[in-house]
Amino acid sequence: MTTDSTQTISRIAEIIINELKLEDVTPETFDADLDLVDEVGIDSMDLATIALVLRDEYGIRIDEDDYPKLTTVRIIAEYISSKLADDK
Amino acid sequence: MENNNSHKEYKFSDILAIPAIRDRFEKVRKYFFLRESTYDMSNRCNIRCEGCYYFAGEKQFAEENLNVHDWQQLMEAEKERGITFVVLAGAESALVPDLCKACFDVIPLGCIATNGLIPLAEEIDYRIHISVWGNDETSLKIRKAKNMLARQIENYKNDARAIWVYTFTSKNIEEAKEVTEMLAADGLQVTFNMFSAPVGYDGHLRHTAKTLARTRAVMGELLAEFPETVIFSPYNIVAHTHEQGLHDLFSCSYPRMNPSTDIGLGRSFRQYRTDLKWDRAAACCVPDTDCDDCRHYAAGSAVVTARMYRHANNPESFSAWLDYVDTYLAVWVKGYEKSKNLCTEMIDPPALT
Repeated sequence: MTTDSTQTISRIAEIIINELKLEDVTPETFDADLDLVDEVGIDSMDLATIALVLRDEYGIRIDEDDYPKLTTVRIIAEYISSKLADDK
Repeated sequence: MENNNSHKEYKFSDILAIPAIRDRFEKVRKYFFLRESTYDMSNRCNIRCEGCYYFAGEKQFAEENLNVHDWQQLMEAEKERGITFVVLAGAESALVPDLCKACFDVIPLGCIATNGLIPLAEEIDYRIHISVWGNDETSLKIRKAKNMLARQIENYKNDARAIWVYTFTSKNIEEAKEVTEMLAADGLQVTFNMFSAPVGYDGHLRHTAKTLARTRAVMGELLAEFPETVIFSPYNIVAHTHEQGLHDLFSCSYPRMNPSTDIGLGRSFRQYRTDLKWDRAAACCVPDTDCDDCRHYAAGSAVVTARMYRHANNPESFSAWLDYVDTYLAVWVKGYEKSKNLCTEMIDPPALT
């Protein structure tokens, strides 16, 4: 795992923690492979909010049709990396 | 809010930096936990309306389950899988008050759709949507019931649960003012619905481009003239009177039109029939509606609301979306108070700009 991807994962976890006001978890302890829907309880409106914050942070658009794919922090990080690579 | 910066690119944080928008977003996001499903409560009705969605398709033939314990168990199971808001609908919920109470006792947030001719006990403390399809002369013709509005008002005057839902057909547009005036005189509330043809319907109530445009104008006039009575927004008017239906505009997210079971309505929404069974292929808020013609207020409440991301491109579009969500919550959630609309212009949905 690269430093970049580790930082991205940590930042995404931080955004999720802030937006959902999660307690008893930090970006460092957030399991990047936790299923955000089944295990964290995120639904579509939460995910839309997080997607908007990520749009600001990384300057990428997240297609609404892609929401169902974004099931873990690690997958979101990979998605962002892919989008950024496409934009280069 | 003026529509003067729709071409500038905004960050979400820039949009939320506007205090009125930030406040409204914080107000509505408290309700993002709502997860709805709908339930046909009875296969009977005390009236029979032309174009009724319930008596289209197969669901009308499902057997009734009148066992309170079975309904309690269903509600417990629904709660367990994350449902937080129930919509008790067809054919006429007020015919089975014990079942409604059983639902309320387990899931206390919800709404009952009724024709309002049979009063529901106060202990069933859901929002109550009372359907009105024109003045009493028209109701007699279309619904075969006398003095409907007067009887509805008698039953639900001074009842904080109640809101009237005026369904605009192609034939009753000019009666909406008369009905709104009557409701306003009694300090009551009304919101607007659009007749959306059931599959196979070829009757005269279906809207045309001309009646959609006229409905849009009348809705705008009533919203301006009766701001305390009419629970609606300019963006609601746009979304529900557009020549394109809700699915074409916003891509319907109910299971019937959405194959994804990963998240949102596609994952959690179910539409139970009176026998307590459900069919994913038919599941939406108003089954057996012709999807191409669907402009239902219930459909929009979920479909437009779900499209937050695409509206967050500029302050006007996001304000319009917030007005829509604020309206949805005021119409559906008892005790939620509608705020003044942020966007007073009728702006196009984002996909069309």
